[in-house]
Amino acid sequence: MRRRHWVSVLGVAALLSLVPSSSYAIPAFSRQYGTSCATCHVDFPKLNDFGKAFKDAGFKFPKDDETFIKIPPVMLGAPAQAEMWPHTIFPGTIPGMPQIGLRFNTFFQVVSANRNNFNLQHPGDPTMQPFIPRTDFQPGLFSIFMAGNFGSDIAFWVDDDISVGGANSNGGLGDGYLKFVNIGRFLKLPTDSLSFRVGQFELDLPFSQARTWNLSGWDIYDEANIGVLNGLSPQQNVNNGFAFSNAAQGVEFSGGHNYRGYHYSLAIVNQNTGGTPGSGVNVPPIVGFVSDSNFKDLYARFSYRFNLERDPASRNEIQAAGASGPRDHTYLNLGTFYFYGRSVQRFPGAESNAVTPAVITAREPFYGVGGDFSFNYRTFNLFGLYMAGHDQNLLPFTPTGGTLPTGFVGSRAATFSGGFLEADYLALPWVMGIMRWDIVKSTADQLNGVGADINNPPPSSFFSPFSSTRNRFTPGIQFLIHANIKTSFEYQIRPQQVVYDPTTGLRLTNPFRTNSVVAGLEWVY
Amino acid sequence: MKRNALAVLVVTAALSVAANAGTVSGKVSGVSGESVVYVDAIAGKTFPAPSQQPVVDQKGLMFQPHLVVVQQGTTVEFLNSDSVAHNVFWISIGGNKKLGHNLGTWPKGEKRPFKFDNPGAVPLLCNVHPEMSGYIVVAPTPYFATSDKSGEYKIENVPDGSYTVTAWHEGAKNQSKPVTVAGDTKADFTLSK
Repeated sequence: MRRRHWVSVLGVAALLSLVPSSSYAIPAFSRQYGTSCATCHVDFPKLNDFGKAFKDAGFKFPKDDETFIKIPPVMLGAPAQAEMWPHTIFPGTIPGMPQIGLRFNTFFQVVSANRNNFNLQHPGDPTMQPFIPRTDFQPGLFSIFMAGNFGSDIAFWVDDDISVGGANSNGGLGDGYLKFVNIGRFLKLPTDSLSFRVGQFELDLPFSQARTWNLSGWDIYDEANIGVLNGLSPQQNVNNGFAFSNAAQGVEFSGGHNYRGYHYSLAIVNQNTGGTPGSGVNVPPIVGFVSDSNFKDLYARFSYRFNLERDPASRNEIQAAGASGPRDHTYLNLGTFYFYGRSVQRFPGAESNAVTPAVITAREPFYGVGGDFSFNYRTFNLFGLYMAGHDQNLLPFTPTGGTLPTGFVGSRAATFSGGFLEADYLALPWVMGIMRWDIVKSTADQLNGVGADINNPPPSSFFSPFSSTRNRFTPGIQFLIHANIKTSFEYQIRPQQVVYDPTTGLRLTNPFRTNSVVAGLEWVY
Repeated sequence: MKRNALAVLVVTAALSVAANAGTVSGKVSGVSGESVVYVDAIAGKTFPAPSQQPVVDQKGLMFQPHLVVVQQGTTVEFLNSDSVAHNVFWISIGGNKKLGHNLGTWPKGEKRPFKFDNPGAVPLLCNVHPEMSGYIVVAPTPYFATSDKSGEYKIENVPDGSYTVTAWHEGAKNQSKPVTVAGDTKADFTLSK
């Protein structure tokens, strides 16, 4: 088994992991309804309860939407035409102005002196020094996004980071879909119990990575499962670039609400074990691997939110009636999610006679499963997620005397697990403090970089996580300068790493952390 | 006979009051849109609070009307006509932050009253929809008027006498000036931000 060539310079990985995730607030809605970002957002793009209800309703006010719109929609047919259907086109509307919002952000980062440890990999070779500047200004993303409603409860959303390539939280086309809200009404199902969307979208994650308010995304969402054959045990032969933050193409059925009671979704999406460029902090961070897409992956999520207000009337409203004004509910939201897919790898091999050349194919089912919670009390929000990934691990089998594998044998599954815990405290309506802990445990990640096997060193330079468990602690604070302008700060206490000699596999450093400070400034309009 | 004499007396008194009541009119310039002009507190005089209760509505994420003038002691009712939750609060009355108040939350279709016993401008806000704003101007006397959009105003039935008259406009500094009312009296104001 040929070792894959790893792009393993820490600088790349570190910088990639520092690239902030996309996030959006929708100024177009501000214009359409003549209202502030704060109507829907707590420290944008984090949604408050009303924002969740607005989104659930298909980017509309949940009740009496037409009474709030300041720019009337353009009729694409008189409402009375509906009675003529199917002998006429069913009447709809388009927003009275293009529902376009724009966003730009820019960043500044400071990386600790430990970054210089990586120069030890190639002492004296200036061409191989993974130089990472102490301080650096980074251009951010210029993004365009559109969202709204076409009437008949058909919602649309398109966002694109037009200044970069990539997909979803990493740039390029993010979400682009139509959502048919409350189609259950045609089947006489309870209101909002069934909606349908089609296109490209982020999976219905418990906490959106594409629209996160943090400067850096949650690590576990970017975790792929890639393990290579190496001189150590356990042997791993998985190359599954799928990560939960990847964009998904397909269809999704959903129902319920995100501001109270149940919510579910069931998505059928393209197989995506190739991942998307720059999608992961796994090793290597960029996976260019083509998989067959005959199989359609499945994703399901169910959650239930308990609003904990004592007053039953207030409990069922979109926002709770506080003594000094409406506010988000005190609530406990519990959820679970499950993803099932198949990873495919093809290798040069031989037929059973061990002579005739053939392509042998390993189909390795995988799943990711997890649970999440979110507790909110007034302006304090504590939430977290734990998940585990599991890939079937088929090792190539080469018969005695043969030189090429003729098939596969099962081995111990390649797994990873982890999650995050985050506390957000809105000290003032414009100041939010954040404390966060990310943890990823992946034996494969450690093994991929390991060079301790002196007799079988990897063919290229590399680095490695110090252990199979990577902890990251990230305190942060964010300030709204205006409702549409935000500055954010994160201090990332990064996972421990070590540097190995690329030829001998000997450890060159003690465990160290390459901590960093990131400041971001973004605005939407 | 006594009754007739009393009637004559009353009519005479009324006529004499009418004869001594004038108007104050003029123009508020330097700003655009509606302004409020009112006669300030008159030493030694009090006025009964009106029984009428004006309504300030929250509709379509706006305070409607945007500007209301009431006499000191008036009870104003705050209505929520929206299907979203609202709130009404003000941080001061006439710049006095001790008079700030929060009316809380109430559902669609319900009203919440508040009696304004202190004169001054009341900037109305909603703590869920920060773009919403409205004003109640609490005049210390029943002699007040709202200008038209060009700034023209007219306060009627002002008894002859010497007063301080104040002009108020949203976002501008108040301007007060002494005005001696004798019949129809002119008083112009130029406000600045």
